[in-house]
Amino acid sequence: MEGSPGTSMHGVTGREPVLAFSVASPMVPTDNTAHFDLPVDSEHKAKKFKLFSFANPHMRTFHLSWISFFTCFVSTFAAAPLVPIIRDNLNLTKGDIGNAGVASVSGSIFSRLVMGAVCDLLGPRYGCAFLVMMTAPTVFCMSFVSSAGGYVAVRFMIGFSLATFVSCQYWMSTMFNSQIIGLVNGTAAGWGNMGGGATQLLMPLLFEIIKSAGATPFTAWRIAFFIPGWLHIIMGLLVLTLGQDLPDGNLSTLQKKGEVAKDQFGKVLWYAVTNYRTWIFVLLYGYSMGVELSTDNVIAEYFYDRFDLKLHTAGVIAATFGMANLLARPFGGFASDYMARHFGMRGRLWTLWTLQTMGGVFCILLGRATSLPVAIAHMIIFSIGAQAACGATFGVVPFISRRSLGIISGLTGAGGNFGSGLTQLLFFTNAKHSTGTGLSYMGIMIVACTLPVAAIHFPQWGSMFFPPSKGVVEEHYYIKEYTEDEREKNMHLGNIKFAENCRSERGGNRVGSEATPPHA
Amino acid sequence: MAILQRFLLASVFVSCLVATCYGGVSFKSLHPTLTVTATHKEGVLKAGLDNITVTWALDPSAPAGTDASYKTIKVKLCYAPVSQVDRGWRKTKDDLTKDKTCSHKIVAKPYIAGGAVATATWTVQRDVPTAKYFVRAYAHNASDMEVAYGQTTSTEKKTNLFDIEAVTGRHVSLDIASICFSAFSVVSLFGFFFLERRKTRIAEAK
Repeated sequence: MEGSPGTSMHGVTGREPVLAFSVASPMVPTDNTAHFDLPVDSEHKAKKFKLFSFANPHMRTFHLSWISFFTCFVSTFAAAPLVPIIRDNLNLTKGDIGNAGVASVSGSIFSRLVMGAVCDLLGPRYGCAFLVMMTAPTVFCMSFVSSAGGYVAVRFMIGFSLATFVSCQYWMSTMFNSQIIGLVNGTAAGWGNMGGGATQLLMPLLFEIIKSAGATPFTAWRIAFFIPGWLHIIMGLLVLTLGQDLPDGNLSTLQKKGEVAKDQFGKVLWYAVTNYRTWIFVLLYGYSMGVELSTDNVIAEYFYDRFDLKLHTAGVIAATFGMANLLARPFGGFASDYMARHFGMRGRLWTLWTLQTMGGVFCILLGRATSLPVAIAHMIIFSIGAQAACGATFGVVPFISRRSLGIISGLTGAGGNFGSGLTQLLFFTNAKHSTGTGLSYMGIMIVACTLPVAAIHFPQWGSMFFPPSKGVVEEHYYIKEYTEDEREKNMHLGNIKFAENCRSERGGNRVGSEATPPHA
Repeated sequence: MAILQRFLLASVFVSCLVATCYGGVSFKSLHPTLTVTATHKEGVLKAGLDNITVTWALDPSAPAGTDASYKTIKVKLCYAPVSQVDRGWRKTKDDLTKDKTCSHKIVAKPYIAGGAVATATWTVQRDVPTAKYFVRAYAHNASDMEVAYGQTTSTEKKTNLFDIEAVTGRHVSLDIASICFSAFSVVSLFGFFFLERRKTRIAEAK
């Protein structure tokens, strides 16, 4: 199957290249008998990513999936820009507001774990639809809330909906070839995260409109919550009517496939948990994604209180934080890939450290800002740093392990939510210090918790400060994931091929092949 | 990158020029030359329903000419210290432009010199939160800066406080709509699920 070393592997890296919009034919053969809008491989997964198409089934799935995830972000953070009104209605203390923020991100730690199993059982289409439509009642429940306890409980329940992240990524992997799945998943995740920004624009706007239609403030915010609720129902129905689990539409085949592809869960978990790099990334993601979620919860209130802005002005400013995800997160992935081309894995690690630390420094400055234009400038740079760091994180994660990538990605994601909950608990729940002080402390914690990047060492590629160990090649590292018995059963062959493909992580002139243009 | 850096520096520089730093009037510099009273029904006042009648006048013992600069009187509803605990957005600050103690306007009237007692009746508005309150009146001069004040409570703000209970904001119609949409969501989901399962079973049976 392989020709002379290097030729058929031109441009193929261990990580699906961020900028590849399509997979060229010699690498993955096209199935010419299939009649789809996009070129497909033998499993009928798309080899090309055509962004502005809604063609069934591949691109339609992409759009249904990211918009559902976006909707869940909108409803999870819908309360945040309205907190100045809600805190008066429900007589909340700072502690209550902080606890609600923690609750809103904690629910999904559990729901994301369950979601994987749900997708295995029912398929990603029903998984997504179930989650979105069963959390719609929790959004409507806001109209009943009359105390701090009720408010915290409802935000916790709405937070479960963030598990659509799992159904989104799962559904993409059934529709898109693994060579471009990195870009597809990264784009979907980033655009979904934008919901946290869009909601800061949407909710105050709805509130103003409903108020001008005659409702009192304490009723208007409750009515405003109906809109995210309706969005849940609409997206659920669209997913059910327009979506399909597989390119060929057949659910039962999926279930049969599931059995074949399964590895031993215990083994996979063991290799994920015993690799120290996993835990460093769990910590790191808590201080890139985690602080992004925390900031989504507090930033509108911060601007409203500190600079005496109108509710919707604070919302507009807060929205720019979350909306930066449109470009910042893909930029992080791009920066990681670009640095890898010249400096290999060391470049990726330095990129991650630089972006995340820059985010931290500007978070410190944001908390101390005393004038509005300076605060906005610092916030924007902070958002770019944190969100690009999220993208750069997943530039390194696929190399930690091939066998346990799913679990490591899941643990990293959970680390993000956990970091968010912890940060909100530590810095935004205590009335003793203001939100501005909390932001500065959070920034200091970001800088401190990004230092462990220096500890990530790959024997075959080195680390930020140390060169690779002598005589170690990629195969040595990736073969260790399989025991002698498993190697005898040839279970490790995929890892051998993976190891060959990621030689580009050595960087610069140590690699034989160069990157091919995307449409070669 | 160099261009970006220069742009950032320039915008920070410009924004520093834009940022103004006037201090506001200091509350400690004001004298309590107004006598203010607030009368209302016994017990907890309900927002949207009950009234407060406020009166204000120049303190008879104030020296003549004190009120020469008073142009407007603004009467406000202010939070008692117990309602400011754990709520940084209601914090008392000496700089009156940053002070958040008195966030609810009751009435603003032009000042009439001569010592007569002015009155106003105000229905507690629907966006007033549940808390303990007192009433304070500020006298503003022609440039709308505070020059004097008077309040219904003592300097420590511990006496003569009254409670207001906020509206819940809930409505039966909202609750019913909420239940209906939630039910619709759940029913349509399960309906779809079972209908599709039945269709596949029929198709497989063929």
